[in-house]
Amino acid sequence: MMRILLVEDDVEVARFVKKGLQEAGHTVEHAANGRDGLFLAASESFDMLVLDRMLPGGVDGVRLVETLRGQGNRTPVLFLSALSAVDERVKGLKAGGDDYLTKPFAFAELLARVEALGRRPSSEAPVTKLKVADLELDLLSRTVTRSGKKVDVQPREFRLLEHLMRHAGQVVTRTMLLEKVWDYHFDPQTNVIDVHVSRLRQKLDKGFDKPLIHTVRNAGYMIRAEG
Amino acid sequence: MRPPAARPAPPRLLQSAGFRFALLFMGIFSIAAAFLVAVLWWATAGALDRQTVAAIRADSTALLDRHRDGGVSALIESIEDRLAQDVEAETIYLLLGPGGAKLAGNLERLPESLDGDGAWFRARIAHDGASAEARIHRRDLPGGLRLLVGRDESERVQLRLLLTEGVVWSLGAIIVFGVIGASVIRRALRARMAPATETARNIASGDMSHRVPLSPQDDEFDRLGATMNAMLDRISLLMAGVRSVSDAIAHDLRTPIARARGKLEEALATATTADDLRGAVEEGIADLDNISRIFQALLRIAEAEAGARRAAFAPLDLPEVLRDAAEFYEAMAEDAGQLLATELPGALPMVGDRDLLLQAVANLLDNAMKFTPAGGTITLSARQEGGHAVIAVADSGPGLSPEDRARAMDRFFRADASRNTPGSGLGLSLVRAVAQLHRGEVELADAHPGAAPPGLRVALRLPLG
Amino acid sequence: MRFPYALPVVALLCIHPGRAEPAEASLRLTTDSAEYCESLALRLAGMPAAAAPLPNALSEEGRRLCAGGHYRTGIAKLRRAIRLANEARAGG
Repeated sequence: MMRILLVEDDVEVARFVKKGLQEAGHTVEHAANGRDGLFLAASESFDMLVLDRMLPGGVDGVRLVETLRGQGNRTPVLFLSALSAVDERVKGLKAGGDDYLTKPFAFAELLARVEALGRRPSSEAPVTKLKVADLELDLLSRTVTRSGKKVDVQPREFRLLEHLMRHAGQVVTRTMLLEKVWDYHFDPQTNVIDVHVSRLRQKLDKGFDKPLIHTVRNAGYMIRAEG
Repeated sequence: MRPPAARPAPPRLLQSAGFRFALLFMGIFSIAAAFLVAVLWWATAGALDRQTVAAIRADSTALLDRHRDGGVSALIESIEDRLAQDVEAETIYLLLGPGGAKLAGNLERLPESLDGDGAWFRARIAHDGASAEARIHRRDLPGGLRLLVGRDESERVQLRLLLTEGVVWSLGAIIVFGVIGASVIRRALRARMAPATETARNIASGDMSHRVPLSPQDDEFDRLGATMNAMLDRISLLMAGVRSVSDAIAHDLRTPIARARGKLEEALATATTADDLRGAVEEGIADLDNISRIFQALLRIAEAEAGARRAAFAPLDLPEVLRDAAEFYEAMAEDAGQLLATELPGALPMVGDRDLLLQAVANLLDNAMKFTPAGGTITLSARQEGGHAVIAVADSGPGLSPEDRARAMDRFFRADASRNTPGSGLGLSLVRAVAQLHRGEVELADAHPGAAPPGLRVALRLPLG
Repeated sequence: MRFPYALPVVALLCIHPGRAEPAEASLRLTTDSAEYCESLALRLAGMPAAAAPLPNALSEEGRRLCAGGHYRTGIAKLRRAIRLANEARAGG
């Protein structure tokens, strides 16, 4: 449950994003232009900002974030933008944004990213072991065990699993995996990510009757003990 | 809106740059001429004047000596004598007694404006009916005598007249030639500018095919014309890009949009259960996602073709990117029963856009996997050939006929044989756009010439330097 | 079009030559008169070398010119005669 500030000038987009986030259990404040958004963001405390990149009122999303960061405000920021060019994304992230989502987007994608951003590990202490049910991932020896039995995985599969486990209980979308695990921004044309996930799933669930990696319809994947 | 095809009025004279240049030149020339005249005046009239002054000074000094030695009568005698022998009739004397009475000389009376001893002045005198100018020097002698010694300066006046006349005539000539020259330069300049102006006017009225004709002289105007042409080529290219994007949007985005709309409409009319309706809406969303993917690909192509992304160029190791691509698609190929083989060097550094290169290779691999039958092999290779990096994807599919190869790079081209496989048809044109962005080219060939099926080999040849 | 062509014409009119400043009352020279002609002739006659052929001829001509009203040239002749007579005396 987070308190989220949404700054978006399009009434329809704002309405459905606000409704969706509220249904997911968050409190949402909405500002329709950059000036009001900046005022709210600076005067009240939020767990998360969702900003349109281009805003009316003289203060656009980038300026807003720059101003906030200049005041030492470190609230996570997710940009929504119709500008898809790579340098626009870089500009947004450089200004202090934490994530960038291009319009049009699926709401599930937005929600997954909002929750991933909002629940980033608060403690800076390095984690050496990740654990979900009987699945264990050792970040130092780079080994995976399930119920004490070693599972052989490729380096890329290890990173895939690590990312899923760091966001255990949260939806991770295909694009998020592509960006975070493969570190490329491109359109793979086909459902390659699904193939990789299903391979990993086979390796992990082989010989166990409880599946750990779940497919979330129209959204992505989630790793959790049992649901 | 201005009325179309209104020819601009010919420039008024002073608005013409050629005319102004000529005027400027004329002005500079006039200053030089004025300087010349001034020097000439100083050298001739000045010298004459100095000579006159020296003569008057010597004369008056001699007369003063005479007065000191011989008294007033000797002075008078001396003046009379000088006048009597003055063949050139240019000397002027006047000696006045203490009471103002004239004692000797040929000057009628004392000029009015006259300072004291040692004064120099000019006076106008009537000489034999004609008016002339004279330079006169006054000396006061002991005993209340006043002596004026002068010289007729008619010569100097004449010289001045001559020079003035010369200046006026040559000034007139400068102005006349200047105006004529200015007009000629203006006409020449306009004639030289005419092709560029004509081209620009044609382009302004909407015909982009015009170019500035260049002369073999390769002068400033030709260079301007060449620059204009290069600019026009670039603009044409960009416009063609925009046009083909809008054509593509008009042509190939409408089809999926129409399809999605039709399906939704049909569901609205015929769906009987909530589940049917739900299914139709989900399908509609998937269709929209696909449309926005095509849209994204079109924008990427346009962006790459416009060269706007060179800013994102960075040093990268090509085999590393290709290994990532191979690893990414390997699992899929295996699932389809295909073998994805790689032939990559240890390292091949180059400068480029990592995301776009990966996208190009991904498109090629995706394409190859679609057309290679189970049991077939797809090879991703890279190697350095001279100053080029050559990235190639070869498959063992049916290949492309030579005619299809020529059209394969067109946006949305899909060989008839592949009409029923999924895909936007944008794959190869994006590959070409990426190659062009890296100043390279795309080559299509048979992967296994002579074999049946021949397979397709698509190679990107990118310069390293 | 009209203005630039008018410019040189105006300039030409402004600097027309030979029009100097209006003269103040000019001074007259007394050495271009019949009287002075006469006084030169007298002066020459009083000189010893005046009888020599060249000064004599010049003096004759000068007097004739003065009589005809050509004072300037007449006086020039007489002056040359006087100079010659003077030189003859100085030389002899």
